[in-house]
Amino acid sequence: MSELTGHILTASNVKFAYRTGQNVLNGVDLDAVAGKVVCVLGSNGSGKTTLLGCLLGQLSPSSGGIELDGKAINSYSPRQRARLMAYVSQQPGVAFAFTAAEIVLAGRLSHTGVFGLTSRQDQEIGRAAMEMTGTLGFADRMLDELSGGEAQCVMIARALAQQPSVMLLDEPTSHLDIANQLRIYRMMRRLGDDWGMAVVCVSHDINLAARFADELVLMREGKVVASGAVEQVIDRDILAETYGVEIDLIAVPGSPVPMVQAR
Amino acid sequence: MTQLPQILPNAVTGRKLLLWAAGLSLALVVLALLCSLVGQYRLTREIWLIRIYRGAAAAVVGVSLAVAGLALQALLRNPLAEPYILGISSGAGVGVLCGLALATHLVLPEWATTSGLAMVGGLVTAVVVYAIAHRRGRLDPYVLLLAGVMINVFNGALILVILQFTQKDEMIKFIGWGMGKVPEWIWNEPNLLVVSAGAVLVAWLAIFARGAAFNTLGLGDAVASSAGVSVHSLRIQTFVIVSLMTAVAVSLAGPIGFLGLIVPHVCRMLLGPDHRLLVIVAGFGGAMFLIAADTLCRLIHIWTGMGELPVGVITAMAGGPFFIYLLRTRRSGGVQ
Repeated sequence: MSELTGHILTASNVKFAYRTGQNVLNGVDLDAVAGKVVCVLGSNGSGKTTLLGCLLGQLSPSSGGIELDGKAINSYSPRQRARLMAYVSQQPGVAFAFTAAEIVLAGRLSHTGVFGLTSRQDQEIGRAAMEMTGTLGFADRMLDELSGGEAQCVMIARALAQQPSVMLLDEPTSHLDIANQLRIYRMMRRLGDDWGMAVVCVSHDINLAARFADELVLMREGKVVASGAVEQVIDRDILAETYGVEIDLIAVPGSPVPMVQAR
Repeated sequence: MTQLPQILPNAVTGRKLLLWAAGLSLALVVLALLCSLVGQYRLTREIWLIRIYRGAAAAVVGVSLAVAGLALQALLRNPLAEPYILGISSGAGVGVLCGLALATHLVLPEWATTSGLAMVGGLVTAVVVYAIAHRRGRLDPYVLLLAGVMINVFNGALILVILQFTQKDEMIKFIGWGMGKVPEWIWNEPNLLVVSAGAVLVAWLAIFARGAAFNTLGLGDAVASSAGVSVHSLRIQTFVIVSLMTAVAVSLAGPIGFLGLIVPHVCRMLLGPDHRLLVIVAGFGGAMFLIAADTLCRLIHIWTGMGELPVGVITAMAGGPFFIYLLRTRRSGGVQ
């Protein structure tokens, strides 16, 4: 379970520029709460991944503040930060032929001593993370022997092994088929519901995000167009403003959220 | 969270590492003793001592080059990286030459000047190669190799220029050094051997302490950073340590190519990619490989009566084809 509760990660009026005078983020606010899944959506180049870089503490905002558990994100060492926050990248990949189990245990780095040796407890935690993500069955197989969906689940297991309170994911389903997309989103939902984590996921799939998230943040040109509960944000005009195209909302029987389709 | 009794497969534990280290230490001592005994009809105590010193020097150089190669491959996520190919050895060579040329004008003993300047030369080269290949926050592996080739050519030219200004004696010394030989004279300079071995041991331990971070770095900079690796610091620290190890090896034995490529790869093929285990095994492997190669050079000299082959010839003859093999097979040696 997540160690922290309440507002774990907050971004207030964050501005960021790769080059002086050209802001990629223009006063973005975001609030990640324990047990909730927030999906960040928006057109290409709207600053979603840059926002994630700032939330991770890997990019320094030119103004505004990011706080993790009430303290400025840059006041943490990488090890301290890793114990509270984990990250899953867009494409799973590894430079050397590590097995799934070895990759998951790499997630224990911030909990190990000076020589990075994993204890029996680390191995048990890694094993539990693999069991939760359904990856234990191929623990001794190499990453490139797995399907895209399985490999991404291994990466989520690695992030879980960090025992974080916040999980950040950058388009984790961008290269996956529909079944694997569903698998990953269901897993994200469980991270919030069963493990009490705050989940922030950058996504391009509005319909899956609307189905599984508690809140959506819509971005365009470095600004938040709208944010809040899914039912409030899934609106024809708001989506049209976000993506610059006309939108149709199609009612889905049995679902409170309509399906979004670009015209 | 559910607590399960079984451990995960392939987990590297402290006990496993200790067993490997103890076993390989024993194997190294046995090999060094055997190698010191072969190749002479009447083995006097003095000859045996000379060979033991020479074996110890070969071990120090072998550990340095193998561990430096492994660390560079892990750090740059590039299976073709090693101190010789990236130009760090030739940079250290420039330092050695400057040390030989300046030794007569300085207070420090010659070996201290050459070693110190070798480290400066190696470090400067490492920084230049890294800066060329580092663009927009990423390291381009192909640019890195090309930068290494270019710097090697540049350092070669620089060496020729400096040679124009050196005395004949220094020039002869340098040419002898440039062949890449395990030093037989080391028994006359025990202080140098002790200082070198001490420096290499500390550096080896420092690289071992970074083994787990190297594993995580294999997942990419962003993931590694989020998992607790201070990527920028790790790069800088590793380059400094690798430059130190290369400087020790190069100032002792001259440029010995490809050892830093072959040994880590063979170890990775046999044992998988976990750097905590590989740092230990590759270090011992490098020491044993160079002791064996040096003994082979000595035996060829005794059997054929021709001049003693530089050990760099043996490592290059084995390493050249191996390098081409690696270039042609993207998936080898546990590398994806």
